[in-house]
Amino acid sequence: MNKHILRVAKFEIVRQLKKPAFWAATLLLPALIGGIYFISFISTQEVDENPILDENTTVAITDDAGILSDGAPFVINGDKEYGKEMVKNGEVDLYYYIPEDFLENKKVEFYHVSEGLEIFNNDGNIIKGLLLQDVMKRVDGQDALVLTGGYEIVDNKMTKDGGEANALGKAIIPFFIGLVFFMFIALCGNRFLMTVVEEKENRISELILTSVSSKHLIVGKIIAMLVLGLVQILVLVIPILIIVLINRDNQFINMVLSMIEIDLVAIVLSLLLFIVSAVFYAGTCTFVGSLVATARDASSFIGPAIIMMVFPLYFMQMFMMEPNLIVQIMTYFPFSAPVALMLREGFGTITTAEYLVGILVVAISAIIMIKLAVKSFQKNAINFSMVKPKFLRKR
Amino acid sequence: MNIVEVKNLKMRFGDKTVISDLNFDVKKGEIFGLLGANGCGKTTTIRVLLGFYEPTAGELLIDGKKYNPENSKILVGYLPEERGLYRKENVIDTMIYFGELKGLENPREWSMKYLERVGLLDKFNEKIEKLSGGQQQKIQLGITIMGNPKLLILDEPTKGFDPMNRRLLMEIIEELHKKGTAIIMITHYMDEVEKLCDRALLLKDGVARAYGKITDIKKEFGGKSLDQIFVEVYGGENE
Repeated sequence: MNKHILRVAKFEIVRQLKKPAFWAATLLLPALIGGIYFISFISTQEVDENPILDENTTVAITDDAGILSDGAPFVINGDKEYGKEMVKNGEVDLYYYIPEDFLENKKVEFYHVSEGLEIFNNDGNIIKGLLLQDVMKRVDGQDALVLTGGYEIVDNKMTKDGGEANALGKAIIPFFIGLVFFMFIALCGNRFLMTVVEEKENRISELILTSVSSKHLIVGKIIAMLVLGLVQILVLVIPILIIVLINRDNQFINMVLSMIEIDLVAIVLSLLLFIVSAVFYAGTCTFVGSLVATARDASSFIGPAIIMMVFPLYFMQMFMMEPNLIVQIMTYFPFSAPVALMLREGFGTITTAEYLVGILVVAISAIIMIKLAVKSFQKNAINFSMVKPKFLRKR
Repeated sequence: MNIVEVKNLKMRFGDKTVISDLNFDVKKGEIFGLLGANGCGKTTTIRVLLGFYEPTAGELLIDGKKYNPENSKILVGYLPEERGLYRKENVIDTMIYFGELKGLENPREWSMKYLERVGLLDKFNEKIEKLSGGQQQKIQLGITIMGNPKLLILDEPTKGFDPMNRRLLMEIIEELHKKGTAIIMITHYMDEVEKLCDRALLLKDGVARAYGKITDIKKEFGGKSLDQIFVEVYGGENE
């Protein structure tokens, strides 16, 4: 590789890695994921200790129907009025009255002090858990299993020719790569723009173009930004993989892992699409950056490009079925092609040949976009105001 | 031997002709003044010479070839009129980066020696935005003269310089001149031209109005000073 490209790339990578803002942006998302995981872990532990009630809630039940076992918890000797009085005096938080005609009317009365709207208050259902818990003590293991639905349904899907169908398992890796691509767009877009605009904003263009050609400057910057994007993605993905590995015995994670079908060709093609899409996106941002004078100008131009890229998501349902004309157009239109191809690969509605053609379209578009960015930077590097189309220029 | 040759340069932006049929050369080792009022085409000529603009017509050569920073056999230093630096970077990293791009063998050593000379050694690890305007100008100048270029182009080099920095710049110009560097100076200060330049070109509306040795130009205008010649050439516009 050309030594000037490498020098530009090295400079850009090192200076970004030194910036606290880079690491703040990079670590924010993993920190959030970690935080959510930690909270869910703690709350799971709490639920395990007491599946129905938290330790601070006090409950009383009057069972006039006699459906609870002798010695069942929370049952009081007092009548309904006594129970309501307990709530009023603050002796208990929740009071449930099971009337004598419970089996006919199928109603339990629930008394508690109102705390406003309480749209999401689910305390009324606590009695269901307590009743079920009590009943389970009286039935044998087999009946309990049936009643609680604590068994697994093993879904054996078949293809039309009798083979084993695993559409979801095949979709997991392409969708995961698609998700990583979204993260890449979200994390790197602004930096791609800034890296080119900065030369103009700081009036460095002429000083630097005396020492390096615009072609090598732009290519070096794009390589640096892709490497930095990769660093950010790895910082994001590695903790997720570690969490998955630590919790591989978890029922849900174990189920997902066991479903994953490793199709090497699909994985290689998905990665190839990811790479060319990232380069295309980088080229697009760099091209926009080369046209404008300030970062503020750039943000109003890059918005439509991002909207076009995520456009296929609005038509998600169409991508699940046999592709119609709109889906076909989005598959081969360079801006929408990356996401459209990832969706169709995930839903299994694209052939390998079509997928390869799509990758080729994105790859060619990426090369064209980089060439445009180089030409535009060469032309506009020393224009310190935004390039306006002819019809907007003053005569 | 000429280090710069400009032949039949024409430059047009849209319908506006900025330079029409300009011819001049700069000899190796000389100091050449490129003179003229604002907007007369001086900076545009340099930008075309360095390949930032494609000329409408004409041939512009540095060391006998169209300039390409990466294929040029000689080092060219350019201090543009519109100049800045990476404000968030520190001094030494910026200087090393430019030094590497210019192909210096040991850019750190060169930069530290330069910083010591201009009294900024203690600022080597400072962010550029923390430096004063004058200190930043010294860094820009250092980047421009890195590696002792064979051709140095200075576009209004003393613009905004305090007297101390101006003196430093003059010293450096004289030093490089002694080492054989050809220097093109774009300036509005005629005293600088009379003091430093061997030859000059006076441009008006993209056309050469005077060209040659300073003494010959003066003779051509009846022994007037460069200041008076400038006023005479541009005088009609101000009346």
